[in-house]
Amino acid sequence: MKVRPYIIFVTLLFYPVFLSVSLIVSLVLIALGIIRRPFLTKRQAQRMIRLYMLIYGKIVIRLGFPWIRIRYEDMDSEHPHPCIYICNHRSASDPFVMAVLSGEFVQVVNTWPFKLPVYGFFARFAGYLNIRQISIESFLAQGKKLLSQSVAIVGFPEGTRSTTLKMGPFHSAMFRLALASKVPIVPICLQGTEHTPAKGSLWICPTEVKVRKLPAISYDLYKDMSPFKLKNYVRDIIDKQLQEMN
Amino acid sequence: MGNMNRQQIEEWTNEVFEEEFEISAEKLKPDAQIFSDLGLDSLDIVDLIVALQKKFNVTIRGDKRVVEIRSLEDLYNYLEDIGRENSGDI
Repeated sequence: MKVRPYIIFVTLLFYPVFLSVSLIVSLVLIALGIIRRPFLTKRQAQRMIRLYMLIYGKIVIRLGFPWIRIRYEDMDSEHPHPCIYICNHRSASDPFVMAVLSGEFVQVVNTWPFKLPVYGFFARFAGYLNIRQISIESFLAQGKKLLSQSVAIVGFPEGTRSTTLKMGPFHSAMFRLALASKVPIVPICLQGTEHTPAKGSLWICPTEVKVRKLPAISYDLYKDMSPFKLKNYVRDIIDKQLQEMN
Repeated sequence: MGNMNRQQIEEWTNEVFEEEFEISAEKLKPDAQIFSDLGLDSLDIVDLIVALQKKFNVTIRGDKRVVEIRSLEDLYNYLEDIGRENSGDI
């Protein structure tokens, strides 16, 4: 693939800025965390770390401006909390983009985000769930506990980043958790992150990232569905919306 | 299930997919891949095994051959083998 000079320029500019800002922000947040920790309970400390991750994410998603613009559309007037956010997955930047959301949440991720220098460090302390390393029973127990503490859960049920614009099949773990905990499901459509960067690439292409939060699906609506039917029901909603966005 | 022929096994298996997973009959072709074409994941497979056990009145859980099943055809073949074993043909 021939890379345009403009993309090389943006990429060479973005990564040093991203790494420098990540280093500075993490040092500041770690220092703040160490100072505050003795005065906090374990629960308060976790809430603090999740807030720090949100702050870090909000900073990171603004670093690409003006080449990468984030447009957040909230189609939900209800804002249920806690809930389970279900998103399509196109890029390594998707977990960062989730910083457009508000409130306390944890993400359900694979092993690789835990290996990221700053993100991984905070993710471990924030109690993010590594779906590859825990059993379904443990996942359901931890998920239910978080939701009972009013902590929302964000997941990418494709499991891996899609290499095309077509969504992959959904895994059912998140939907089993929804059925077990009876909380609303909020679908989220991500479009444009496939350029920031695409799977297997490091090139950052100027783009507009659209994040569209759809109306919540209440427990009453899905309570009679099997996990299989529910995951495909939500997948179809996101798929139709993505086609409209494209 | 020892007396069942291949056609019955295929019909009953397809009924499980239609009833338990609401997958339309057109998708249930022998070469359909259970994971990629029909969209089941490892957790759904557990539900599938439970439903098949109930439908055919056999014990499948714990059988190591299950992990090698990829397509519907593989599943039909496997259930046919189970049927033969139950009827004492092998």
